[in-house]
Amino acid sequence: MASDDELSLLVIVVDVNPIWWGQQAQREPEFTLSKCMDAVMVMSNAHLVMTRSNKLAIIASHCRESHFLYPNKHWKAGDFAGDESSCGSRDGKYELLTVGNDLISEEIKNLMERTEVRGQQTETLLAGSLAKALCYIHRVTKELDAGQEMKSRILVIKAADDSALQYMNFMNVIFAAQKQSILIDACVLDADSGLLQQACDITGGLYLKVPQKIALAQYLLWVFLPDSDQRSQLVLPPPVHVDYRAACFCHRNLIEIGYVCSVCLSIFCNFSPICTTCETAFKIALPHAMKAKKKKLKPTT
Amino acid sequence: MATSSEEVLLVVKRVRQKKQDGALYLMAERVAWAPEGKDRFSVSHLYADIRCQKISPDGKSKIQLQLVLHTGETTNFHFTSESSAMKDRDAAKDLLQQLLPKFKRKANKELEEKNRMLQEDPLLFQLYKDLVVSQVISAEEFWANRVSMNSVDHSLTNSKQEVGISAAFLADVRPQTDGCNGLRYNLTSDIIESIFRTYPAVKQKYGENVPHNLTEKEFWTRFFQSHYFHRDRISTGSQDLFAECGKLDEQGLKSMVGQGVRNSMVDLTSLEDKSLDEGYGISSGPSTSSHNKTLKENSNAAIIKRFNHHSAMVLATGLRKQDAQNEQNGETSSTDGNSKDSDFFQPSVKKVKLQEAIEYADLEQENGRKPVALNLKKSDRYSHGPTPVQCQQYATSQDIINSVNCIRHEIADYTPRLTQVLSSSTASTAIAALSPGGVLMQGGTQQAINQMVPNDTQCELKHLYVAAGELLRHFWSCFPVNTPFLEEKVVKMRSNLERFQVTKLCPFQEKMQRQYLSTNLTGHLEEMLQTAYNKFHAWQTRRMLRKT
Repeated sequence: MASDDELSLLVIVVDVNPIWWGQQAQREPEFTLSKCMDAVMVMSNAHLVMTRSNKLAIIASHCRESHFLYPNKHWKAGDFAGDESSCGSRDGKYELLTVGNDLISEEIKNLMERTEVRGQQTETLLAGSLAKALCYIHRVTKELDAGQEMKSRILVIKAADDSALQYMNFMNVIFAAQKQSILIDACVLDADSGLLQQACDITGGLYLKVPQKIALAQYLLWVFLPDSDQRSQLVLPPPVHVDYRAACFCHRNLIEIGYVCSVCLSIFCNFSPICTTCETAFKIALPHAMKAKKKKLKPTT
Repeated sequence: MATSSEEVLLVVKRVRQKKQDGALYLMAERVAWAPEGKDRFSVSHLYADIRCQKISPDGKSKIQLQLVLHTGETTNFHFTSESSAMKDRDAAKDLLQQLLPKFKRKANKELEEKNRMLQEDPLLFQLYKDLVVSQVISAEEFWANRVSMNSVDHSLTNSKQEVGISAAFLADVRPQTDGCNGLRYNLTSDIIESIFRTYPAVKQKYGENVPHNLTEKEFWTRFFQSHYFHRDRISTGSQDLFAECGKLDEQGLKSMVGQGVRNSMVDLTSLEDKSLDEGYGISSGPSTSSHNKTLKENSNAAIIKRFNHHSAMVLATGLRKQDAQNEQNGETSSTDGNSKDSDFFQPSVKKVKLQEAIEYADLEQENGRKPVALNLKKSDRYSHGPTPVQCQQYATSQDIINSVNCIRHEIADYTPRLTQVLSSSTASTAIAALSPGGVLMQGGTQQAINQMVPNDTQCELKHLYVAAGELLRHFWSCFPVNTPFLEEKVVKMRSNLERFQVTKLCPFQEKMQRQYLSTNLTGHLEEMLQTAYNKFHAWQTRRMLRKT
């Protein structure tokens, strides 16, 4: 119908780490997971209402799995099957929104009910959720009609801390998103996350650490609802300065100048004749005058 | 009148200049004109000042000679003698043609060179305007470094490529009808040169006949009239000047065909143009001999032969030049392209080509060259990568169980209450934080500096930087000060810098203040100048100390 048929797909990845949210419920009872889900629902309804052709997906990122809250594979748009009481909209809302909200709340309840935390699995599987989001975007892109274009972005609402072990997967996801021109926005509730800062910087998205959690809905609507074309016309928070310094593999200290093994690409702060990761031997033939500058030279094989 | 030592080479009476009758005098070093009856020259030009001369075309009623000076001024002389105006003018022109080249001043060439450089490089031009026109430094200093640089470049650009010949040059000579059954051909020197280069036989004829037997005009008239030029070239009577050329061409073509193409990869003789019928392919029957061809085929064959010959000659002109250079090496040159081919297909090259055609790299067997395997001992380092250690919050298992139970209870009773998500006060504080000047918006203004400063101010600033950079470069290149020349230059550069600051930088700063631009755009420039002043001061005090 409309001549400007560019679709916009928003994928919201919500961090529902039960341990963090449980502790949060005890710390700050006025902002709990229920409130957070309400804010997410407001944002998603607003997105769907902005343009008729907008699409939405919501993924819950748990410590055991990543689960799609919306859309549900057993549900098709326009399918109002169910008992009489849930049929139709109770408060005059657009039916799609009613059904969507019901779906989301049901799914999150089921997800939390079957939560079992075992052993060391206390960290959010954020890299996995992002990978699922990318796959979903890819699938929807393939299912488009010929001639239709789609712009997609991912909004990450992050609660718990970064998981250091997911670094490699995370970086792969970021670069894949950059290749596909998919923006990654980040809304951080608790502690600053270096990985998400890098993600936003590389893909061109926005990073925001929310100062007041109870006003989450307002921040989401103000900053993250407009898409990338509209953002250039708006005055939004300026980008954060990202610390791209690497940490050495031996001490995990941030360094500015270091040595890189040319075989395995591991980073060290001091020169050693054998790389501890891949056991390659290095030699540097230094003339006496250059000894003072030794720290700035990179090893050659 | 003329000074007594001047030798008068030619006097031409009845020459008008600016509607006054007079006489033109050509001396050893200058050309001058005096009005009738007067004995003082009113117009006098040194040959060195004259850039070129021009004459009016032959058909015009007024016979004129124009002198163009280096400065661009022109002086016109009108020859009015009834009987010999044309001869006078031509005599004057010829004499000037001989004399002018002797006096071409080298110095003017430099001036032209400088002008050319300024026109070609707008940045240089801007720098020149900023520094020399506003008298910050003198023109000699400006050109001191540059002219030496460019005289080297100029010699390199002289070795330009030769312009080739368009194959259609004869067709481009489109004749125009003269109104009454005649044709007018416009021949330019380019076309004449192309004809000579392509057909050396015609050049030879030209050399033989002009100017002894025929004038140039007559030669070319005959050329275009001859059947040599026209399409259906059937050699008629030997009265035609160019019949011999036709025979030479035939011989040339035969020799070219006889030489053949010395490329063992190509077999031209197996190509036949005998088709069975329209669209049915080539028949491999015996080729019909030439005397069975119809008349039409014969004339077509003649045109095609001529066409091929023409193309071959055009190509050969390009190679002839290369061959002329190669003659120093003692190679024998031929006037067609075959020599190139035969050189090209030496046995080694042929072998390589045959091998390329036979072998396919991916059908070969794998060469068992194994790459070195990566042997990682501590691969768990890659799982966290180059990230610093972050303090993890340790949660006891009891904590974990408590939290999980807590969240389960909470979500079990969850119903979305979307009308009570946000209170207005929290919303307003959030909006205040997000508005310009709010808590979250700090650091935004510093990034928009290029949007806050207008474009022309930016341009001016760029010019200032370029000019200051140039002056500072001269200044700093004087150190270490070894020679008295450098000492003088340092002192001069310092005064230049001061002058620059006063004449250029201060007005710019005032202008910015008037425009209420609070950003400090000239801080860095001032810093650079101050460093230069400090260095100069230090050097000067040291010099004083050394002297005392």
